[in-house]
Amino acid sequence: MTNDPDRAAKVGSIQFKKPTLLIQFVVWSKLGLLSFGGGTATLSLIRRAVVDETGWIEPNEFTRNWALVLMVPGINLLGLTTLIGKKVGGAAGVFVALSGLLLPSVAITILLTALYTKVQHSRYVVAALSGVIPATVGVGLVTGWQIAQPVLTKCLKRGTVPLSVALVLFIGSALIELLVHWPVVAILLLSGALGALTQFAGPPNIGREEP
Amino acid sequence: MNSLVYLWLFLKASLFSTGGTGNLPSLHDDLIVRHWATNREFAESLTIGQISPGPSGLWVISLGYLTNGLTGSLLAVVAIVLPPLLAILVQRIYERIQHHPSVEGFMSGLALSVCGIFIVILSILLKSNGLSIKSLAVAGIAIGFAATKKIPIPAILALAAIAGIGLELA
Repeated sequence: MTNDPDRAAKVGSIQFKKPTLLIQFVVWSKLGLLSFGGGTATLSLIRRAVVDETGWIEPNEFTRNWALVLMVPGINLLGLTTLIGKKVGGAAGVFVALSGLLLPSVAITILLTALYTKVQHSRYVVAALSGVIPATVGVGLVTGWQIAQPVLTKCLKRGTVPLSVALVLFIGSALIELLVHWPVVAILLLSGALGALTQFAGPPNIGREEP
Repeated sequence: MNSLVYLWLFLKASLFSTGGTGNLPSLHDDLIVRHWATNREFAESLTIGQISPGPSGLWVISLGYLTNGLTGSLLAVVAIVLPPLLAILVQRIYERIQHHPSVEGFMSGLALSVCGIFIVILSILLKSNGLSIKSLAVAGIAIGFAATKKIPIPAILALAAIAGIGLELA
């Protein structure tokens, strides 16, 4: 399957040869098992597997799909997996892709949590967590910033008004959550609506966040 | 704890957010009010989620297990698998409206809002875990390490675990 020298010819001239569901499942479950280290690492692994190694999808299409799933609810990588699965194997392809990617990682997450509940009262675990929880918060703050930063940078380049709108939405949401405590979904939808109304972010830029 | 309501809260959180931890604010809101989860359980599940493999966002499976056992974790899986299927629908719609700036405005507004709320909630988690010079120092150092983007997150957490044991038991 990997590094098939005839691949380019097949894709280009005749028909794209559809891999069997079993092969699809094997590729996705390998990705699910190997992808330690969170989102970005998983994204790179998926790209390598479906673009470089199997040629299931063209590089441009991969990038376009990634930009698209940033606008889909839920976990972006699962949206991407859905689109690639559909392209490669239709509805059945979506099913094997999602189950292949998730079965190993979900099982490991559940096992880790179960293991944790067995040892959570040990004084070593309590002490270790007193360090790990603040670190998780620190790492989470960086992740939050990394999501907001490209939007803020883009608005900074666009001028004072777009930047002001961006800052109002960013800081305003935090203040409402802290002080007024509306339902979160209401704050999110209001910010989205204000963003759509003011068009502060300018025209779409497909292909940003190129993995 | 009603399983249907429980599933709906997880599903709603995922439907009205994007990204692996975008569902944190909404879930925190709903589960804490109902006393179905504690701040501690949120902090623990986020930590386990950082260590486990796969896409980021599997922390809710851990939260499901801690708050509602194996049933909870399986309901959480359902809740995170369904919304991304909308990608197929979005792909169709997007082909028609992709050039409208309101679409970009909506998504960017949503992203900024999630991040603002996210920061508040992380601060609440830190506070409920016991605010001290030590915990603030560990959080600060973790921010510095994570910002380099060079140090793997499991390594940062392992160092923090060692620091915790050293600071508490030594």
